[in-house]
Amino acid sequence: MLDDRVIKALLLRAAARDEGSAEAFRRLYELSAPLLLGVAQRVLARRELAEEVLHDAFARIWHAAASFDPLAAPPVAWMTAIVRNRAIDVRSSHDVSRVDSYHATLDEDPEGSLDRLFDWNPAADDGEDRRRTAQWLRECLARLGAPERQSLVLAYEHGLSHSELAQHLKKPLGTVKAWVRRGMASLRGCVEARMDGAAP
Amino acid sequence: MRLAGQPSLDALCGEYVVGTLRGAARRRFERALHDEPLVAQRLRHWQNNFMPRYAPMIETRPSPRVWKRLEKTLGLARPPWFRRGSWAIAATAVLVIVIGLQLARQEPDAVLIAELSGQAATVSAHLSRDGRTLVLHSDRPVIAGPSQSYELWLLTPEGDVLSLAVLGSLDTRFELPERHRSRLRGQLAVSIEPAGGAPGGKPTGPVILVGAIKV
Repeated sequence: MLDDRVIKALLLRAAARDEGSAEAFRRLYELSAPLLLGVAQRVLARRELAEEVLHDAFARIWHAAASFDPLAAPPVAWMTAIVRNRAIDVRSSHDVSRVDSYHATLDEDPEGSLDRLFDWNPAADDGEDRRRTAQWLRECLARLGAPERQSLVLAYEHGLSHSELAQHLKKPLGTVKAWVRRGMASLRGCVEARMDGAAP
Repeated sequence: MRLAGQPSLDALCGEYVVGTLRGAARRRFERALHDEPLVAQRLRHWQNNFMPRYAPMIETRPSPRVWKRLEKTLGLARPPWFRRGSWAIAATAVLVIVIGLQLARQEPDAVLIAELSGQAATVSAHLSRDGRTLVLHSDRPVIAGPSQSYELWLLTPEGDVLSLAVLGSLDTRFELPERHRSRLRGQLAVSIEPAGGAPGGKPTGPVILVGAIKV
């Protein structure tokens, strides 16, 4: 499990461009590369392309570290976005063969697929807020309609575009777009309602 | 066109987080993220609350090739890039002396009261003879990002933490708050805070510079 505070400290150290920067960056890579490679591989399904993306993404992270704003972005999410976006770009420029068996299980076992891909256990350093939010998010995902949930998880896990989703789910593009949009909106509404309810 | 305040902002954050925002639309969004603090703030809300953590199960160890290539691409392997820049350090030193001389000319009566050091820079603090004005000078330009400010704190020997100024840059001069002038002992420290300074009047962000006040 990546600790945001550790990752943040290493990123800032790498950005300082002093004697310790190269070492901090190496440590950052050691800690986070396995997870980020996993993320890239989910999108690309091909090991060599995923490693290519990992290389490019870390080069980008090294250069962008100086402009990383610890107050504006959670560091692990920031790095994940760089890797996923790069993987999505590579995917659309390569003919990445469709992974046919994205998951047959998603339709029959939505709960299982959410637990297979995501970690819902609170981390040791999580505050009470973070624990509660994760729990709400889990509950709210489970409450979504099956098509909405399936579209969101497929798009998130495999980096499918709207049209790839439409193709995979054998539905019109407009329908799939609406599922993604509605899915995210319901998720937000559901979690925020719980936040408001819990506010003192 | 500014994105902050537009009704579509949440939908865009959602699509960005899920990954269905593509091409020119994604690039526009990323520009706004960079230029508009409110957009970055909204995305942070999304990332913090609507993005589940990946399970450790998905982790895959990369082959050692990837790091070797990275070291080469980025010039991290020997000779270390920071050693190759000795001429740059020398040039910076000259510049610092030149600027320092200029500063000394501008502030003939200022006294060096502290040198604050940290990873970001080394900053000298001069106090005017009349004790009213503090002049900070950094050995390299350091400017706060759009959504952050630097805040200068006085840590008194009695254990009080007093805010002296909220800064956008580490090169600056400002009038010391009158009530703190007589208490200028202990340490000076600079922390990173949200734009406009620490909301509760106490430091919340990381301390990037610290130095003792010379009496």
